[in-house]
Amino acid sequence: PPCGPVENKKVLYGRQPYPDNYVDRRFLAELRRNVGVQQLRYWSVAREAGLVGQQVSCVAVFVALWSSLDGGALPPAALLWGGLLAALLGYGLHGALGGGTGGRTRWADLQSAAIFLAFTFGFSPVLKTLTESVSTDTVYAMSALMLLAHLLFFPYARPSPPGSLSLNAALFGSVCLASRLPGALHAFAMLTWALLLFALWPCLLQRLRDRAPRAFPWAAALVSLAGVGGLSGLWPGGSVLLLLTLLALTLACPLLLVRLQRHKDNIHGPWDEAEIREDLSRFLD
Amino acid sequence: MVLKIFFPQCCTTADSGLLVGCWIPDQDSAVVLAVVHYPFIPGQVKRYLTEIRSQTDVDLTVLGSWSMPKEGQEGMDSFLKDLSTIFPHSRWLQLSREIGKRGFTCQVVRKGGMFLKEQAKEGEGSVRDENEKVIIVHYDQRKVMLSQLHPVQEGVSHSKMEQSALRAVFHTVAQSHPLFFIDKYDDGPLKLTHWQSEGREASIIAELVKQGSVPVCKLLTWMLSLWSWLGSIRLLNVPPVRFISSKLSTCVQLGYRTEHLQTVSSTRKATEHMEFMRKANIFVSFLLDMALGLLLIAWLYRENRIGKLASTLVPVADHVAKELRELLEWLMGAPAGLKMNRALDQVLGRFFIYHIHLWISYIHLMSPFIEMILWYVGLSACLGLTFALSVLSDMVALLTFHIYCFYVYGARLYCLKIYGLSSLWRLFRGKKWNVLRQRVDSCSYDMDQLFIGTLLFTILLFLLPTTALYYLVFTLLRLVVVLFQGLIHLAVDLLNSFPLFAMGLRVCRPYRLAEGVKFRVLCEEEGTPLHLMMEINPIKVSAVLQYYRTPTYSCYPRDSWMALCKKLFVGELIYPWKHKTTKTD
Amino acid sequence: MADDSLTDIYGNRIGVACRCHSDLCREVTVSGPKLSLRSVLVYTCGVWLLAYAAFCCTENTAVLSCAIILTLVGLMVYIHFFKVDHESLLIIGSLGVQLSSSYASGRECTSFIEMSKIKDVVINEAVYMHRVIYYLCILIKDPADPHAVSSVLPLFQSSKPRLKCLIEVYKTCQEILAQS
Repeated sequence: PPCGPVENKKVLYGRQPYPDNYVDRRFLAELRRNVGVQQLRYWSVAREAGLVGQQVSCVAVFVALWSSLDGGALPPAALLWGGLLAALLGYGLHGALGGGTGGRTRWADLQSAAIFLAFTFGFSPVLKTLTESVSTDTVYAMSALMLLAHLLFFPYARPSPPGSLSLNAALFGSVCLASRLPGALHAFAMLTWALLLFALWPCLLQRLRDRAPRAFPWAAALVSLAGVGGLSGLWPGGSVLLLLTLLALTLACPLLLVRLQRHKDNIHGPWDEAEIREDLSRFLD
Repeated sequence: MVLKIFFPQCCTTADSGLLVGCWIPDQDSAVVLAVVHYPFIPGQVKRYLTEIRSQTDVDLTVLGSWSMPKEGQEGMDSFLKDLSTIFPHSRWLQLSREIGKRGFTCQVVRKGGMFLKEQAKEGEGSVRDENEKVIIVHYDQRKVMLSQLHPVQEGVSHSKMEQSALRAVFHTVAQSHPLFFIDKYDDGPLKLTHWQSEGREASIIAELVKQGSVPVCKLLTWMLSLWSWLGSIRLLNVPPVRFISSKLSTCVQLGYRTEHLQTVSSTRKATEHMEFMRKANIFVSFLLDMALGLLLIAWLYRENRIGKLASTLVPVADHVAKELRELLEWLMGAPAGLKMNRALDQVLGRFFIYHIHLWISYIHLMSPFIEMILWYVGLSACLGLTFALSVLSDMVALLTFHIYCFYVYGARLYCLKIYGLSSLWRLFRGKKWNVLRQRVDSCSYDMDQLFIGTLLFTILLFLLPTTALYYLVFTLLRLVVVLFQGLIHLAVDLLNSFPLFAMGLRVCRPYRLAEGVKFRVLCEEEGTPLHLMMEINPIKVSAVLQYYRTPTYSCYPRDSWMALCKKLFVGELIYPWKHKTTKTD
Repeated sequence: MADDSLTDIYGNRIGVACRCHSDLCREVTVSGPKLSLRSVLVYTCGVWLLAYAAFCCTENTAVLSCAIILTLVGLMVYIHFFKVDHESLLIIGSLGVQLSSSYASGRECTSFIEMSKIKDVVINEAVYMHRVIYYLCILIKDPADPHAVSSVLPLFQSSKPRLKCLIEVYKTCQEILAQS
């Protein structure tokens, strides 16, 4: 390259004695590494990972409930009463935590509850015969797939309001499972619990995380314990597996994340595409 | 420019005389129509030409002279050349034959007496003027006069008409029809050579038919107007009656036939070619239809065939019902090893079996009257085979009404499911259909909406195979019926719209309908201009169909197969007839 | 003409004859390759062998008679509707251009285009399967707008001669078009 007195400018429109792909020594001077990377602390990551763990154990609790109902170990009436108690307790807690009702009155809540109950109760005889002709394996496979989809698409960053796809997948799976139960009341109880676990519990958990950050890990741990405990009566090996999974999810994975954070090497420079730095939110209001 | 002379084939052996014809403006071509023989008196020729000119639109003039060498007529040439001074002209053609040569030569004389010889000496070839080139095109006068060039340009205004020399030649020859009425046996003052007709037919029968057709047509018109008045004034225009009559193929056929007869029986003379062909086509198909209908009647009302038919009809209906019932029972079990929702299956099956029961009792109630009904209905064949076929189609439609009902129930149920599932599937994914923007948008639903939607989605999804199977079976049944009816409609439509007259004309007189012309090089002799033979290129058979097809409902654009499949898939109802609403303008 | 100009785009030999009736009228005839006896024999034998195999399986003589009728009808349909023996172009100055193609059975398809409808005769190129070929075509005037081209009519569609041959024909055409 001709080393003239002319300094290279990074423009293509001007005529310069350099080829277009010429770079001079100043090029790497503007290189920046790891701009704006937050330093993660292990325990806060583990706390957040507890949400994933408790959602997995929610599914485990549901499966445990279903299998004990299917096997006749648990009468549906008891489950219903338990559900009612849990719902009332949860609703009370939700109210006690406060923080705005989000525009919903008690009357609207009552209406929603009435709709849930009426529809579920009305359709539970239909549900009983729904999958009669479909083979059991197919139903199990479908439910497993749907519950997995629920876990995959669950909005972990913000569980309330529940994401449409994850909630719908969980409900679809629970309807499939409920249709395998021996009676209409069983199906009704199962669907009520599905609603409690997959729709209402994430709302309460979100409220807990916002309002009572200290109580949140305990609640998550409680649910995880319930999941492990519920599964141990049904399938001990499975409960051990779940326990290991939970431990890996809440303790090992955050550790891995924090460790790997050290090796993070992002480079930034003038070659990046333009980024709008200014805060535009004041224009949007 | 090259001068083109269209020369009739029959005049190549004519005696010497004057060429009568006309110049085609802008195209630099001359059409020779006849040769006036020597001897003649020029004044008489002029008078005769003005007379003919007043009868036709053709600008008839004397084009030049024609000399046919004969023994004892030497010196004729110079005389014919002198004739150019008698008749007014801008160009004077001198065609002359020589003994022993097939071609003939042509000389063009411009006003002012300057000779422009066609066959110039070789040495002068380089300085030869452009003006003197001549092509002589021979044509068959009779065929060109009678033929009709396609595409027909009758209604088109003169300015829009394409500038075509051939069209002008055809037009000129066809227009100068009165010229050809004089034949060689006439004792007039002039002797002409041109195409000789064999004289006009003076058949008594043809004349009687011609005379008699006028009052018959008037009577027909009067009766038809009475008929249409009846149709318009009675309570036929009440919505339900109107709807039913628009769906019954007999009524539709009646409407078409009335319209056709009105066209045929109008006493106005068909002056234009297309109108004439339309009338003739309709008339011939009407006659054929009637003949076939009478044949059918002759076959049907012999040896008590009606009675036999009626006595087989009820057992056939019974048999069909039995088969249907077996089909339904098979569907209510585990058809083809498919596992269906048993509760829904039973409900649907019982519902349909009850329907069949109703239908069979209706048929049995009707059975004593069936023979009589058939007897009277069979009489409709004397109106034509198309009527008999239409009645048959309607009867099939009425007798398979139960299949239609099954189909409609199945389709409605299936359609409901498909629509419900498609919208609930969007809800399942957290999306919704934005009507304003015609697209799928994401949307946040309430929890109770999500819950109920998913519940319904699951239920509909698991019940779908049962409904789909019922829908499939009844759609197949319906398709068989529709196919049968469609075949009948196709036959009726063929009889109604097939241009029989035009097709016959194409087969027997191919030159009458011309697509264009073709040329053949006649002879290449040294020293004569180029001689071409112009022959008529007959129109293709497919083009005959395209031009002369009587318009009926089958001419409207129909659904494509893909559209039909889509309709079947989403469960829209299909019909053998075309919806009137889909027909735009 | 040079030797390789007498081949079509596939390399088969074609015959080109140019007759000059007068200085106003030329006729160019391009005759494609003749129906080869070998291919007819191969196809017939193939069908008959298949039919014989079917006959061995079914032991039904109707199969054999069907095969014979099928080959005969197929051959007739082929020579009557598909096999073009020669195509000719008759150019008559100031009158028009006549295209005709005669099939192996003797059937002749003719169409005549008047000079007033012809805008020009040009050599065009087209993508044909995986190659680019040249073809001669007539540009037809739009009746509404005399400067526009409403359609393009390709010539010698079945015997596709190579460019050298096309250039000769093109020169002949232009000579006569220029005169009138």
